[in-house]
Amino acid sequence: MASIARPAVFRQVCTAAPSKRVFSTRTTPLITSAFRTSKPLSRPTPSTIIRETLPKVASFHATASRPILPPPPQRIQGTANDPAPVPDPSAFHGAYHWTFERIMAAGLVPLTVAPFAAGSLNPITDGVLCAFILVHSHIGFQSCIIDYFPSKRTPKTRKGLMWLLNAATVLVGVGFYEFETNDVGLTEALKRIWHA
Amino acid sequence: MLAQRAFQTTLRRVAAQPLSRAVVPAASFSQQRRLAATQNIPATATENELLVQQRLRRPVSPHISIYKAQITWYASGLNRITGVALAGSFYLYGLAYLVAPLTGWHIESMTLATAFAAWPAFAKVGVKFLAAWPFTYHAVNGLRHLSWDFAVGMKNKTVIQTGWVMVGTSFLGACYLAF
Repeated sequence: MASIARPAVFRQVCTAAPSKRVFSTRTTPLITSAFRTSKPLSRPTPSTIIRETLPKVASFHATASRPILPPPPQRIQGTANDPAPVPDPSAFHGAYHWTFERIMAAGLVPLTVAPFAAGSLNPITDGVLCAFILVHSHIGFQSCIIDYFPSKRTPKTRKGLMWLLNAATVLVGVGFYEFETNDVGLTEALKRIWHA
Repeated sequence: MLAQRAFQTTLRRVAAQPLSRAVVPAASFSQQRRLAATQNIPATATENELLVQQRLRRPVSPHISIYKAQITWYASGLNRITGVALAGSFYLYGLAYLVAPLTGWHIESMTLATAFAAWPAFAKVGVKFLAAWPFTYHAVNGLRHLSWDFAVGMKNKTVIQTGWVMVGTSFLGACYLAF
């Protein structure tokens, strides 16, 4: 915390122009002010000429501060002096999940080509396609939640979203079961709307 | 510190051996010697809170705004975006179909088909293209991902080539489906 008070610039500038605080919004570059107060150069170098003719802006920043996304909620595990926790290595972690994910994705390939090739699908095949799409979407959404809501940073949000996803998947499964039963099925409905 | 730890490990190993070969260690080697007096000040909650506030106020370095535009990561990002769009629509329709009797909406296939049929031709083609391109993009990119899972086409040059082939194929596929 003493680093706030310590000027984070070159040592020669510190000795030439001592200052207690250094902000990024300083209007005159410290390097040129240092050159003026210290021994003058015998011959102005091209770099100083360029520096003198350029508009005086805050040094060390070429662009304005424009955060795309603000920093997320910060959580300090242990104390500030503890090293970052390294998880235990496990060569097999998530192997079944990975394989299942690829089986889903590979299974979707013939199931998606079939309606285009055959024209329309048997209700059972259509139901299987809906189920595969549902599980594939569920796994995809899980990956998004895992990526954007790490459990160390936002534990409650992460848990809540995972449960919300589970509930949504179950409800959508019921919804498409109803759709398959009461209506014409996913592929047939899409075909009718598409060629309407 | 590493040297001291190594020495302590060696010491333990030597001590575990039979007594006839035991070496009597000097007391100073097994204890850590500090030549300056230190004091352990545990961090309090207010100090942690201060650190959290500092972190929240620090500027975030530009990342996606300055990284060179490449088909590798653009394609990956678009794969996720199209996937979320398609799956999101799927989920929303499923949930809407369940609550439609309660809210009085009519979103059966027949109602949607007759409503869509009444749209002007350019709007129909436009919407069909906007719906088809994410689908074809995600499908063809999915094939690319499956090929990587078999360690096929993993070189950077191949990834770039297949990436552009995928963009072209998906665009043509979407055009075929929409028109």
